[in-house]
Parts: sequence; structure tokens; C-alpha cells
Amino acid sequence: MSAPDALRPRPLYGQFPTALRFCVRDQTRNRLAALLLVLFVPAWYLMMDALAGHTTLDFKLYATGQVLHIDGGHLTLISAGLNSVTMIAGFVVFDAVRKALAFDRRLVYSGYRHSTLIGAKSLAIAVVAGGIALYTVLAVLPFWRPGPGGWFAVYAGFTTIALAYGALGLLLGVLVKHDLEGFFLIIMGGLMDTFLQNPLGNPLANKPVLQCFPSFGPMQFAVGGSFGHTALWNHLALGLAWAAAFATIGLVIFRIKTRSRVRTGA
Amino acid sequence: MAQGSTPAPPPVLQARDLHKSYGRHPVLRGADLTVAPGQLVAVVGENGAGKSTLLKILAGTLPADRGEVVLSGTLGYCPQAPVLNASLTVEQHLRYFAAAHRLPDLDRGRELVRLLGYEQYEASLAGELSGGTRQKLNLTLALLHDPDVLLLDEPYQGFDWDTYLRFWDLVDDLRTRGRAIVVITHLVFEQDRFDLLADLTDGRLAPRTTSRKDHHVGA
Repeated sequence: MSAPDALRPRPLYGQFPTALRFCVRDQTRNRLAALLLVLFVPAWYLMMDALAGHTTLDFKLYATGQVLHIDGGHLTLISAGLNSVTMIAGFVVFDAVRKALAFDRRLVYSGYRHSTLIGAKSLAIAVVAGGIALYTVLAVLPFWRPGPGGWFAVYAGFTTIALAYGALGLLLGVLVKHDLEGFFLIIMGGLMDTFLQNPLGNPLANKPVLQCFPSFGPMQFAVGGSFGHTALWNHLALGLAWAAAFATIGLVIFRIKTRSRVRTGA
Repeated sequence: MAQGSTPAPPPVLQARDLHKSYGRHPVLRGADLTVAPGQLVAVVGENGAGKSTLLKILAGTLPADRGEVVLSGTLGYCPQAPVLNASLTVEQHLRYFAAAHRLPDLDRGRELVRLLGYEQYEASLAGELSGGTRQKLNLTLALLHDPDVLLLDEPYQGFDWDTYLRFWDLVDDLRTRGRAIVVITHLVFEQDRFDLLADLTDGRLAPRTTSRKDHHVGA
């Protein structure tokens, strides 16, 4: 019934490139998210820039113990950017994963390798998260021009938090039963997480408890790079660890939910 | 097609002693089904009799509490509600599933689209198709790799008369090429089309005697 592998004709479409292309397409067809990205991000910067003022704030870099005295307006732009990225990246991935779950299950039953589909999905999330982070960090330039190194640090921080919340979107997409639960957890989680890191809005900022939140590492890296002229790679890695943890749990659940139970006889 | 003294071909799909309960409510209580190559089987039952549960277990998408399903060969499964991706076109669906099945070309997919009469929608997004056309695409995806066993859950819901006739032409073609087909339905309009009709009652499958051939069902 099945020909030996050597005699089997070459497949017309490779599983990985096909899945990657369609996963990216899935995640970039969310018009509401695109609208949020294009309009909400600059509007959010504009509002936060107007509200925050330019009082000097103390911000503690945990890696060095150094307390920076920095412009509160610029710091608020970083936390506003982080907040936008958490919401949009989380929403895009959650919506796409949730809508495609039954379809992905069908693909796996039809012969798609789990590892291939998971790899393509993960890479698609990384590509989309990187794109969202790039736009968000470019949109900050009309309000604030850090040096190239500082700008790169903010970009790296935004990309890392986009990956973490994209992975959280994946986890919630395969886990929760209703759309509203996922949207609520992403929006409220992102808002609380990023708000707490900024000493302008949170008198408890600079306290050790902040280290338990996903945006802690990216915020430290972005502020350290743009104001302290130091690259806190360990803190960037901490943000990536959150992304890896969310993604691993989400992909394990995805694998369990898409496995087949039929025994194939001889 | 008379069997005569030739030995019966080995079954291509065999389900033994399937049990399934939802909470304290038993749905399947020892259902058995044996399907031979080229056989067309209808599983008939009232609403809530457990037909879709049985088909999901046969397809491997739902675990049974007890019993087993053994499949020899490839399986195609067409769920009752179309499982499609609204943001992909018909053509992209064919490519995605061709990659899943590692097919060397899209010839069979294009042939099925033509046989079911919806080639004008190849570039349309699945989310913009009518219910009947979505069902045609749903069926096409199940048939794309020319499976040895095809499981169809209420396959002709939403089909117009012309598509209904095209569907049976397709089924006849599959049967003559030795493909087995299991259709789950709550209404059977043309009983003589089937080799075997099996009623799902009280969680078990019982063969009707009015089918056009004498095929074995149950253990």
C-alpha cells in the first residue's frame, strides 16, 4: 500500500515552509490588531507624553544596584510602548491560534508532523512579534530620540516582551474556553505588568516584587541601555525565559489536544 | 461482486467493543463495526444516538473509554461541521493539505473541485464561501489523498440536488476502486445504494436485513 521511501514521489510542498507561510498570513490578517498598531500606538505615545511631563524619576537597575535619575516622560514612553506591544502581540497570536485550533488538529490528523507545525507556528509568532516591536519602536522616534545604542536597547526590550506576550497568546489560545477570558487576561495582565514597572504611576516601583513579572527584564534592559549606557543581557534573557516558558506550556497543551488515538494495523 | 467461495478480504477498518460515556450518561455500550475494502456502510441513528461520537472515535479524534479501533491503510475524515481556515483560499487549503499528505501534485484536489462543481471559487477565501461550497471543500480535503477508508458525518447536508448526484457519482467511483466508505446519517433516502445499513440503538450497532448485500457487522 505504501511505497518504499526511496520510490515515493517528492512532495510538491514542504510541510515547514507551507505551514510557516500560512501561519504568518493567519496572524497578519487581523484587521483590528493592524488598526490598533497603526493608530493606537502613536495615539498612546501622544497621550502619555502629554500626561507624564518631564519630572525626574528614580529608577533602580537591579543588575548593578545603580539608581538612575531619569526623565519621567521618556521612561513613560518606554512603558507605554511595552504596554502596547503586550496587548497587540498577545491579541494577534491568541486570536489566530484560537481560530485555527480545530483546523490545526485536522492538519495533524491528515499527516502534518507535530514538530513541524509547532516549529512553524513558533517561528511565525517570532516574525510577527518582531514586526510589531519594530513598528512600535519606530513610532516612538517623533517623541524621543535616544542614541543608536539606546534605541536598539528599547527595540530589544520591545521584541522580548512581544515574544513573551505572543507566547502567552499561544498558551491562552490553546487553553481557555472563551474569547473574552483570553482577551481579558492579556489586556489586564499586560496593563498591570507594565504599569507596575514605572515609578511614575507606581510608588512601589523599584521594589523586588517587580522581578516576578514578565516585563521586568525587558524594562530593565531598555532603561539600562537607553539611560545607563549598559547592556543588561541577563535581564533580556529573563524576558526570553518567560517567552520560552509560556511557549513550552502552550505547545505541550497544543500537542496533547491534537494527538490521534487510532491504532494503525498491518 | 458475488462473494462465492473466495475468502472475504481482510477488513480495512475494525472497531471492537467500543464504550463511551459522558459523565454518567453512556453513549456507546459495546459497538462493533467491521468494514471491508470497497464496502459502503451507513450508520443510522436518531438525534443523540451517539453517531458523531462513534465517528470521532473511529477517526481517532476522541478517545474511547474501552475497546479499540484498528485501521489498515489510510483514513479520510469529513466532519459534519466544516473544519476550514476562514483566512485561506480554496487553493491554499488544497496546498496545505497536499503538504500534510506529502502529495507530489495537486491533480487529485483539482479533479475533486471540478467533480463537485466549484472550480470558480478556487481563489475565494473559505470565510466568504456559502454553506454548501464550504461543505464541498470540507469533503475535498477528506478525499485529497485518496484514502482507503473514508468516514463521512452527514456529508450531503447543504448540498443542492445536482451536487447530491455528483456526490454519489464520486462515491461509486471510490467503491469501484476498492475504497471503503462509512456514512453517518440520521436519514437514509436511498437504502439500496448501501452495502450495509447499521442502526445505532442503545449504544450498539445492529445490521438491517434490507441492505443489498449480506455483509458482516459486529463481532
